[in-house]
Amino acid sequence: MPGVSLEARELSKWFGSRTAVDSVSFTAHEGEVIGLLGPNGAGKTTTIRMLSTVLPPTGGEFSVAGVPSSRSADIRARIGVLPESAGYPVHQTGLEYLTYHGRLFGLSREEARQTAVRLLGQVGLADRAQSRISTYSRGMRQRLGIARALVNNPSVVFLDEPTLGLDPAGQREILALVRAIAEARGTTVVLSTHTLPEVEQVCSSVLILDKGRVLVSGSVAEVTSTEAASRQSGHLRVPPDQVARASEVLRGVPGVSVEVAKDVVTVTSSDGLNEALSAVLDARITVLSFEVDGVRLSDAFLAMTRGGAS
Amino acid sequence: MSARVIAGQECRDLWLSGRGPVLTFAYAVLLSAVTYLAATNQVLNFLEQRESVNLVLQIAVAVGVLLTMVVAADAISGERERGTFESLLLAPVSRGSIVLGKLVAAMSLWGAAFVVALPYLWVLGKGVAVVGQAVLLGLVVGTVLALSMAAIGLLISARSTTNKVSLAASLFLVLALFAPTQLPAMPTSSVGDVLVRINPVTAGSHYIQLVLLKGHAWTQDLSYLISPVVAVVVTVVALAVAGPRIVRLTGGVGSG
Repeated sequence: MPGVSLEARELSKWFGSRTAVDSVSFTAHEGEVIGLLGPNGAGKTTTIRMLSTVLPPTGGEFSVAGVPSSRSADIRARIGVLPESAGYPVHQTGLEYLTYHGRLFGLSREEARQTAVRLLGQVGLADRAQSRISTYSRGMRQRLGIARALVNNPSVVFLDEPTLGLDPAGQREILALVRAIAEARGTTVVLSTHTLPEVEQVCSSVLILDKGRVLVSGSVAEVTSTEAASRQSGHLRVPPDQVARASEVLRGVPGVSVEVAKDVVTVTSSDGLNEALSAVLDARITVLSFEVDGVRLSDAFLAMTRGGAS
Repeated sequence: MSARVIAGQECRDLWLSGRGPVLTFAYAVLLSAVTYLAATNQVLNFLEQRESVNLVLQIAVAVGVLLTMVVAADAISGERERGTFESLLLAPVSRGSIVLGKLVAAMSLWGAAFVVALPYLWVLGKGVAVVGQAVLLGLVVGTVLALSMAAIGLLISARSTTNKVSLAASLFLVLALFAPTQLPAMPTSSVGDVLVRINPVTAGSHYIQLVLLKGHAWTQDLSYLISPVVAVVVTVVALAVAGPRIVRLTGGVGSG
């Protein structure tokens, strides 16, 4: 089991009387990509800002690579962050920008320049290193931001909405980059996003927040199966002359709701579908096919946040 | 070390982005117009040569300090609005280094303004042996005033919720401090004298006049420099003490 690189305990933040984050606790391991999900205002960005020491927590504590939250400068030296809606000095070139940030992390001028050149190559901006940032597309700026987050070879990288506003190709590039960061460097990545398929693609675990509280956490499979266990639906196909009877039998099963459309009976149950299927078979109704809906992370997310997603 | 890196980058941002050169150019145009009127219009110009030098020096200091404060007032709140401040806060550098770096960059504008003013003072002061005195007075009094105003500008910028608020508050403050210098006769009574002395800008301006126009010795009226020196000490100490606490992602009281 890889070591713990990020640990938050009862982390809370109030802005006046408004609670932004309420007792958030979780642990992330080396090389893990953890997805931070939640509707707007769920507390994702505030959580990242606290963990990156930009905002002081009102309560709770955390550690990054074993460094406690009280040593904020030491934590900043071990993390990389792509802030939400990060701005860039548009008159600087990508190379100048990264070199400057390398120097802020204590690198010499030459080391910072070499690191900047290497990172620009890794994020696919080598040929635009000497171009002003004002000429970069949004996707290029996001890649530059990710390169900036890696300038200090961090133990933990926080990416706040890295694919926001990007086209599908740009999103794919960023996700490939995120995967590479975690796999090649063994870096823990905390990915805050609204785009759930992204999380399914790259995250090993997820943390769903709503109104500042953790609703559920665990691996993607665990979170989706939580929802799958609590509500499942399937599509039953029977001969046309038996549709009415099948519907009647299913309605007699506790916890089952039924919808009929074009000879297909859609069955939804909060207690699983085994009992519903048994009832149909016991009634000697001919089952032509029965397809269980695959429950996706988006289903779990929407159900848990009561449809209040992005 | 990190303050030096930040100061270097802030200066490059100021001077290479075009903001510094534009402000300096506008400043030079203003000084050119004033100098032209003071030096060449023999019909309208009732000023003696010493008075002309004093006039241009006063304007150079006033406008140079104003521009320095404007740059300082934009330094933190402007970066917040442009979205570049969070990246700076995420670096493992102290908030004090950030403040110091931005203060140095703002002061670089005063340095440029002072250098730009030199040829104008030289042109006007030729023949009456006041150029050296005027340059030294401008350097000493102007730097003290510019430093205190830049520190105040940074404090306002760190506290302001928006860049507009920061710039408006700073401009109002600097104009309010400079306004009394335009009154016809400054210390005509003991109350007037106290008012001149407690305002660091009027006190500095009056000291320049006393040395340059009335030919007083530098040491004769040093008491007029008490408030400018106190102002610079208080504002720089306030910036050093309060700066690290108020330099954060959001402005306003009680934020963050």
